[in-house]
Amino acid sequence: MKHKMSFIATVLCVLCLLSQSILRSAANQFLGIAPEDEKYYKSSEVIKCKDGSKKFSRAQLNDDFCDCSDGTDEPGTSACPGGKFYCRNVGHAPLQLFSSRVNDGICDCCDGSDEYDGKVSCPNTCWEAGKVARDKLKKKIATYQEGVAIRKQEVEQAKVAMAKDEAELSKLQSDQKTLKRLVEQLRERKEQIEKAEERERLQKEKEEQEKKEAEEKAKQENSGGEDQEKTKAEEEAKKEKSEDVEDGSAEDKPIESQHDDNVGNLDDSHSYQEAVKQKKESVATSEPDFDGGSKVPHDEGDDASENTESLSKEELGRLVASRWTGEDTTKESGEVDVTKDSDHEDHEELPKETHDEQSDGYASETDDDNQKYDDEDHEDEADDDFGVEDHSDSGSSYKYESDTDSDLSDVTTLSNPSWLEKIQNTVRNILHVVNIFQTPVNQSEAASVRKEYDESSAKLSKIESRISSLTQKLKHDFGPDKEFYSFYGRCFESKQNKYVYKVCPYKQASQEEGHSTTRLGSWDKFEDSYKVMIFANGDKCWNGPDRSLKVRLRCGLKNEVADVDEPSRCEYVALLSTPAICLEEKLQELQHKLDLMNKEQPHAHDEL
Amino acid sequence: MKKTQTMKNLTLLLLLLLLLTCHLSPVLSWKKDEFRNCNQTPFCKRARARNPGSTSLTAQDAAISDGELTAKLVLKRIEQQETTPDQIKPLLLTLSAYQDGILRLRIDELDPPRKRFEVPDVVLPEFEGKKLWLQRLSTETIDGDAAPSSVVFLSDGYEAVLRHDPFEVYVREKRGNRVISVNSNGLFDFEQLREKGEGEDWEERFRGHTDKRPYGPQSISFDVSFYGADHVYGIPERASSFALKPTRGPGVEESEPYRLFNLDVFEYIHDSPFGLYGSIPFMISHGKARGTSGFFWLNAAEMQIDVLGNGWDAEAGIALPSSQSRIDTFWMSEAGIVDAFFFVGPGPKDVARQYASVTGTPAMPQLFAVAYHQCRWNYRDEEDVEQVDSKFDEHDIPYDVLWLDIEHTDGKRYFTWDRMLFPHPEEMQRKLAAKGRHMVTIVDPHIKRDDSYFLHREATEKGYYVKDANGNDYDGWCWPGSSSYLDMLRPEVRSWWATKFSTENYVGSTPSLYIWNDMNEPSVFNGPEVTMPRDAVHRGDAEHREVHNAYGYYFHMATADGLVQRGDGKDRPFVLSRAVFAGSQRHGAIWTGDNTAEWDHLRVSVPMILTLGLTGISFSGADVGGFFGNPEPELLVRWYQLGAYYPFFRGHAHHDTKRREPWLFGEKNTQRMREAIHTRYMLLPYFYTLFREANTSGVPVARPLWMEFPSEEATFTNDEALMIGSSLLVQGIYTEHAKHTSVYLPGKESWYDVKTGAAYKGGKTHKLDVNEEGIPAFQRAGTIIPRKDRFRRSSTQMVNDPYTLVIALNSSQAAEGELYVDDGKSFEFQQGSYIHRRFVFADGKLTSLNLAPGQTQFSSECVIERIILQGLSTGQKSALIEPANQKAEIEQGPLLLHSRQGPTVLTIRKPNVRIADDWVIKIF
Repeated sequence: MKHKMSFIATVLCVLCLLSQSILRSAANQFLGIAPEDEKYYKSSEVIKCKDGSKKFSRAQLNDDFCDCSDGTDEPGTSACPGGKFYCRNVGHAPLQLFSSRVNDGICDCCDGSDEYDGKVSCPNTCWEAGKVARDKLKKKIATYQEGVAIRKQEVEQAKVAMAKDEAELSKLQSDQKTLKRLVEQLRERKEQIEKAEERERLQKEKEEQEKKEAEEKAKQENSGGEDQEKTKAEEEAKKEKSEDVEDGSAEDKPIESQHDDNVGNLDDSHSYQEAVKQKKESVATSEPDFDGGSKVPHDEGDDASENTESLSKEELGRLVASRWTGEDTTKESGEVDVTKDSDHEDHEELPKETHDEQSDGYASETDDDNQKYDDEDHEDEADDDFGVEDHSDSGSSYKYESDTDSDLSDVTTLSNPSWLEKIQNTVRNILHVVNIFQTPVNQSEAASVRKEYDESSAKLSKIESRISSLTQKLKHDFGPDKEFYSFYGRCFESKQNKYVYKVCPYKQASQEEGHSTTRLGSWDKFEDSYKVMIFANGDKCWNGPDRSLKVRLRCGLKNEVADVDEPSRCEYVALLSTPAICLEEKLQELQHKLDLMNKEQPHAHDEL
Repeated sequence: MKKTQTMKNLTLLLLLLLLLTCHLSPVLSWKKDEFRNCNQTPFCKRARARNPGSTSLTAQDAAISDGELTAKLVLKRIEQQETTPDQIKPLLLTLSAYQDGILRLRIDELDPPRKRFEVPDVVLPEFEGKKLWLQRLSTETIDGDAAPSSVVFLSDGYEAVLRHDPFEVYVREKRGNRVISVNSNGLFDFEQLREKGEGEDWEERFRGHTDKRPYGPQSISFDVSFYGADHVYGIPERASSFALKPTRGPGVEESEPYRLFNLDVFEYIHDSPFGLYGSIPFMISHGKARGTSGFFWLNAAEMQIDVLGNGWDAEAGIALPSSQSRIDTFWMSEAGIVDAFFFVGPGPKDVARQYASVTGTPAMPQLFAVAYHQCRWNYRDEEDVEQVDSKFDEHDIPYDVLWLDIEHTDGKRYFTWDRMLFPHPEEMQRKLAAKGRHMVTIVDPHIKRDDSYFLHREATEKGYYVKDANGNDYDGWCWPGSSSYLDMLRPEVRSWWATKFSTENYVGSTPSLYIWNDMNEPSVFNGPEVTMPRDAVHRGDAEHREVHNAYGYYFHMATADGLVQRGDGKDRPFVLSRAVFAGSQRHGAIWTGDNTAEWDHLRVSVPMILTLGLTGISFSGADVGGFFGNPEPELLVRWYQLGAYYPFFRGHAHHDTKRREPWLFGEKNTQRMREAIHTRYMLLPYFYTLFREANTSGVPVARPLWMEFPSEEATFTNDEALMIGSSLLVQGIYTEHAKHTSVYLPGKESWYDVKTGAAYKGGKTHKLDVNEEGIPAFQRAGTIIPRKDRFRRSSTQMVNDPYTLVIALNSSQAAEGELYVDDGKSFEFQQGSYIHRRFVFADGKLTSLNLAPGQTQFSSECVIERIILQGLSTGQKSALIEPANQKAEIEQGPLLLHSRQGPTVLTIRKPNVRIADDWVIKIF
């Protein structure tokens, strides 16, 4: 084998030398031409430049003088700047080079065909390189094969899960309708009962009053006028109050707020206004800061520069250095600076944030049944709104993951068909049994109506929140085959040096260092036909842009994030291996490529 | 609903406000208050308050001794005049003449209590050898003066005159017009060193910094007049117009004098008399009537210079020759002596040559250094470097040098590597070198005060640091934190420093690594005006105030020497410096510092480069793209298109900016930037020839139009266009979405658009349509430009490629041009190892003549593959090459190979004559 190899090498060398001498006498006219183009060059004595600009004679082909501006006449030399050189690289993959690589003293083709002027000798390494490449390709194909299978499974699963989600949604929606009606009925009944009770009570009161009055009248002729009115007033106030409470417990508002953007932000809009006010003030008061901050390097503003005299030498040094670096000047002043910075962020991001909130479906999550998550999410939101860079609370992404679990449990309880019927029956019974015209009101019946009402309306709000979160979820773009469906609610982590990067598709991406979390971006979209995920509008960079993350996807068997990088300040990139993009077509392409490489293989042996 | 609407509007409004403030901020960002203006600078304030005619010195005892004219400047004894206490002792004046019309004037104290600082190692040692041994002094009574003046020979046609009372020195044409004079307005003042008076406070305070000024006031000021002058130029470095505007005088809005004080100015603004990173106290005057002259004051202390507007002295009543147009200037320096040089010209290139004979010609760079450089603060790690490198190849964009900024070091300790990011620096450099590329790392003058850092340890032990006013090692703040600064004024410190660049000492370096000296003003973040305190002490006997403007020069010099030593004297150094002083051209390249990604900064780069060129610094450029901020793609493209003609061509960016490598802005913009860079590579033979011209003559690569067309007044204030050599005129596009531009083309001959081949008449302004594909560039009729049209990865691979000659014939069907070629690396060219040809086209014949004296050891197999003929009046068909007696075809070919729809021009196809040979090509 070894002998054979060295023999091949010798032959190759000889061939090489031969071809060189041949070329020097310009006989190998067809150097650098791709096989599929050979006909083009060989068909006639006068050849057209491919761009149609000119014609040239066969003698001018590869004569080391550029006749066609597109390089048609010099495929084998460096004479035309725009040209391409084709190396066959038998045993490996063929290659198209820029003509600038021909005879430049650097071996670019593994078969050495790009260097023939004798200044350097390029050994033929196609055999070895080809083997390496083929092995690599084979490995890639193996990955793809497995990946394609996994992907198929996932696509199937996603379809099922999505159908399930959709079914659940429509079921929930119809349940919601029914339940709403029931709640309405119950509410009516409850009100009726309450009215009845009220009447009863008033009646009773009246009676008592009359009794009392009669008694008092009898006792003391001239006493009670004021008292009476006072009590009346008290009574009325009480009544109003209780009505208020009732209205409040009707639970209509928060539910609507999920569906109606405007109403949903009633509360927000208050803080929004306030924030705007704040912003205005801060624009008015700290203009210099503003300028500096929005300009690339940090600017301390006039005030600060006036103050430099009071700084220690070291502080001054740090301060001046920070203009170029944009870094914190001192640890002590660092905090102040952060708040300053977050001010800027605040102003710039507020409108965007609010918008995001509306479309991103975070709002619905806040209404999740689980009170605990509820609170956390609110906290998160608050953080976002105020743009605090260093979140003290880490690991929120895990909770995000567990969201799905709780959702699942909900699905089982909520989608149980008997459940609604049970309520329906109960309600029917109650409604049937409770006689509102009966006086006095049966207290146990009234209590059961109330209880049933409370329970049902709680249920209803739960359903509605679930509907909203499902709707939000289903709104997302899960890819042409829903292959990214399983990404929803999941986070992928990667540890790199001191940082932990968390990529949560459809939600957000973050960088964690110890206890501080920096948001690299909120979910934006897919790009480049689902090969890239974009997270945008992350935490603002001091002097830089808002942070953003581009996640490039590549076929792999597991979902794994790797190679997080920051090529420009605060513009991150990462790589995510996933079976979700192991496409059948690509696999075929790769196989085809391997076939081609293998096909050339025996051919090469034959030649030798 | 309505509520949200109004809120939206409000937000929009606020956003708009924000954007607006964004736009304004660069103007506000320059921290004017942190720098002293003239009023806050006592010597400047004192000097500026003086009135014309207040000098009360007379020259006495004029005599020739040791070939020089010497005299004493003595206070006039006039009864009623108050004697100022600081001018009681006489001063010594020396006038000496040098070859080629250079007069040197020195004035110092006769016997000062402390030696005043003289700037060493700037004037070339061989300059002394050019001194004329003055034999005799003639006296002449001029214009009814009471006393006769002393006159000495200067050169053929010029004389130097010392007028005794009032004291005045000038150069005149023999028995005729004045050229340059000193003290004609009687503003001369020399504060002599003296004992501190009772209760006198010499300290100066500025923004919390105290300058002890132990030696008290010692400033010097005087007026200089240029005759036959329409404009004055020079005295870099600042961002302002090329022709210097008056700073005082009627109708002149009172402004600051031009300041020469090397400072690290954060976000400098694009139009200000304020001084930047470098100082060259050399002023050039030019006028239609007389031509060009120059005045150079060798002094490294802070200098302030007023250009006085016409009629500034209306009330002074001093009679100066009124027949000549004249520009008066006023020079003030904080310390030092008068050591001034008068250059008589009379042409612009004469002045360049004369100045170069004092301070030296620009060093000959290696070929790679003339090509394109890619820099960023910072290419983060080896992977990043590899990525960027391979992307250039992927996009077929050539580049020669990849740069690493401060972050590559271990904690800003220069000569070290951050081993996390750069674990294999040698391998990284070798990979680049395998593609013929080079690397540059940064080495700054601030040394981290860290006892575990070898450099700090050694420098401390050897006592090599600059001392503070108390005699301790000066401790300032810079990138590494607490830092000290090497005393580069001392030759032994420089030689010690130089040894640090050997590949053994600089661990991780290879011979393909070159150096960048930044922050060498020096920049000291916690110092007064972001620099070193003036009372810091150098060499034990010089105050920083005296040395300041030359500090960076010595640092640059020592680094360049280090690279020469590393290469055993066989490898030309490449060192880029930010600080600059007279003579920096001998040590390497200069760039214009931390500019901003704005159109105005693109615009001002031209006068800045022209000014540097005029004052000897040929190898200069501005950061392409603008250092601060993110350029719009259009601005970036325009910057590449102009930057391709900067003598020093480097893309650079601040670390807060987005990546801006040429392939990041869409295929169209990539193509435009690729073409701009290709243009530079195509013109490398021409540029290299120009660098050699600069190296031999001092004439800069990038020139103002009037340097080539000295009598054309229309060019005198033109600083939007520049000449590259004598053959190319280039003008940038400095506005967004430009559809048209006006270009003035000087001279009587035509100009050929380098892209379209269209001919334009000279001597008029043309309104041209422009597109985004390029900027206006023209070849002057009557010239021949050598090109290499084949594109390669880097200049290294172009060495053997054939040439194209582009001949643009003038109205008499003639043209000429030059080609200089050497090995591109070593110093052997100094021994004559080069090819230097002159190509002359006349009478239908192209002749290649040898300009290299004697036998050359350098040979090249390179041939000329194509000769393009523009402006040929008759349709010749073929060419005959002699002495080979071969025929070559003449056909229609493209003007530019890569342009698809470009014009066709008459082309001699494959003459294949060797550039090393003599030959003649006849066309018929």
